[in-house]
Amino acid sequence: MKLRFIIALFLAKLSKPILKLTGHKGTDFPGKLALKICPEFLRYVAKPRHIVCITGTNGKTTVTNMTVDVLERAGRRVLSNRAGSNINSGVSTALLNGVSLINRPKYDLAVLETDERSAKRIYPYLKPELIAITNLFRDSIMRNAHPQYIADFLSANIPAETTLVLNADDLISSRVAPENERVYFGIDRMPTDLTECPNRLSDIRICPVCSHELKYDYLRYHHIGKARCPACGFCAPDYDCAGTDVDIPAMRMTFREKDETHEYPLLSDSVFNVYNMVTVITLCRRLGLSHAEISKAMDGMEIVATRYGSEKVGNVTLTNQMAKGLNALASSRAFDYVSHRPGKKELFMMMSCMTDERHWSENTSWLYDCDFEFLASPDITHIIATGPRAIDYKLRLELAGVEPEKIECIEDAEKAAEALRFEPGSSIFMFYAADQLDYVFKVRSKIKTLAGKAAER
Amino acid sequence: MIIEVLYPEIANLYGDLYNAEYLARSCGAEIVNTKLTEKPRFISERVDLLYLGGTTERGQEIVRDALRPYVEDIKKRTAEGGVTLVTGNALEIFGEYIEEENGNRLEMLGLYPIRSERHMLNRYNALYLGELDGMRIVGFKGQFGHSYGDNGAGLFTTLRGAGLNPETKAEGIRDNNLMMTYLLGPLLVLNPPFTKYLLRLLGVQSPSLACEKTALEVYERRLRDFSEPGRNFVY
Repeated sequence: MKLRFIIALFLAKLSKPILKLTGHKGTDFPGKLALKICPEFLRYVAKPRHIVCITGTNGKTTVTNMTVDVLERAGRRVLSNRAGSNINSGVSTALLNGVSLINRPKYDLAVLETDERSAKRIYPYLKPELIAITNLFRDSIMRNAHPQYIADFLSANIPAETTLVLNADDLISSRVAPENERVYFGIDRMPTDLTECPNRLSDIRICPVCSHELKYDYLRYHHIGKARCPACGFCAPDYDCAGTDVDIPAMRMTFREKDETHEYPLLSDSVFNVYNMVTVITLCRRLGLSHAEISKAMDGMEIVATRYGSEKVGNVTLTNQMAKGLNALASSRAFDYVSHRPGKKELFMMMSCMTDERHWSENTSWLYDCDFEFLASPDITHIIATGPRAIDYKLRLELAGVEPEKIECIEDAEKAAEALRFEPGSSIFMFYAADQLDYVFKVRSKIKTLAGKAAER
Repeated sequence: MIIEVLYPEIANLYGDLYNAEYLARSCGAEIVNTKLTEKPRFISERVDLLYLGGTTERGQEIVRDALRPYVEDIKKRTAEGGVTLVTGNALEIFGEYIEEENGNRLEMLGLYPIRSERHMLNRYNALYLGELDGMRIVGFKGQFGHSYGDNGAGLFTTLRGAGLNPETKAEGIRDNNLMMTYLLGPLLVLNPPFTKYLLRLLGVQSPSLACEKTALEVYERRLRDFSEPGRNFVY
């Protein structure tokens, strides 16, 4: 074993109690330090026998956390990076936590969220047994270019021995690494399905074989659905595992696997989260859990609080709904979901990418791939756009048909909270990006305080 | 007025399609979407504006193949003063070739004497500030390489950022009323003066724009931001 690795392991381990003493918990510093000293740290660090990685444009954090929770509730010891980042430093930190000072593995199983663009720095070293890809959509223009670029990047870096768990309803991610063994999941036809795309964004509209326009037997949103080519006969893969008879009003579904079926209560009423749930069940089944174990473990489980949370405050319901800036798909899904909630609504937008604004200026092109049109609804009475690009949101909302008098631009989000109206019985939805969660929750606290005061008046 | 959008099923990255929508909403034009399997409308009928947006790398080859039978028609339209707007990496399709990292050359339509380089692990993301006939132009670039060769004075004169490549101030290509730029996304929404210029070229005497007041506020704000000396232009 390389001397550099031994030094890296020792010093990175040593950094952990120091960080703890200085109040720096949950950072990637140990992994960063290990990689700085030994760039091939991930090659040499001892690994659990079973490694599962979860990647994709949207849903990977939710799927990772749910999978870890289910496995732990079912009695498995799981190493994960849920407290850290999903790039190589976060994965290194997690694996560092999973070995002793003499590099002996302490876990048999790791479930790791991995950033798509970090595949090259992670997968060749980890050689995961399973990689689940939730989906691939258009994402940050700067980092991800377009989903086919990410699909090609993943294909080039996924080890040949890895089994893939793929979304058959996504024609982009389901075609990644075509030579690898694979398991397809999906959701059977639902009563709410369409056959034409209702969204601005659809990342695959032509047949990957012959370039003719694709048709959909059923389409959920964007390019997610059962596609086929009427010209050459190409079609989406069949499901090995599927959510079937999904009944959102009754909040239940059946999970079908070969000839076996099992009933599950739904954890969320959004189709996007039904996909997340189907992914988790498929993964846990591959890891040997029974349906009874999975079902029991999912009982009472909630979607990650940083992604979604709802509570009654004063006379209003306050909901935080991650909408991920720079990501037209995530925002469109969030807008669609919120537009279908009953009652009067105020929207509070904190989606401007603060990190970008600090060193250049956010490329706002994605706003024009995003379905702001969902927000042109009489039930939505007031929209506050915050952040450095608030005025760009105002323009996009006006172009989407939202009456200008409903829109306010207040760049300082804390000040903007004071402009909320807190109409009794209404709901306030906060949309926010992932790059400023601490600030989002600070503003959320302020909104809660203001809602309490409004109720006392 | 008719705006023909070429191949929106594949040339649709980064909100590009909103350019045609914004124009149509501003002047009441009809949008005609031409699919890859269809013969373009401009070959046989009057089309006021022909528009092509950015696409994937594979998409560039598909669009090239779709347009190849119509190269002479494009030349004729351009010579006759037909207005055409091409954004993002669609510009590269009209050059001589795209050279990949491994030296492989993908022949393109050869309408203009430029060659493009493609570096898939070295994406160029940048802000852009330029000028056309005294109008300031703001925009964004996101591309896997630059183009080189003779693009004359280009479409825009670069004030900050890269032109057709970092060594030239001439951004894009202008040939009569054919306008091509590497700028991507909703260029026309972000640049009300340029959009009015385009509408005047299309014969609209006193153009007004959809949501013009707010669009101008957005433009002025971005112009101010992009003119800040300390603003970093490359991502």
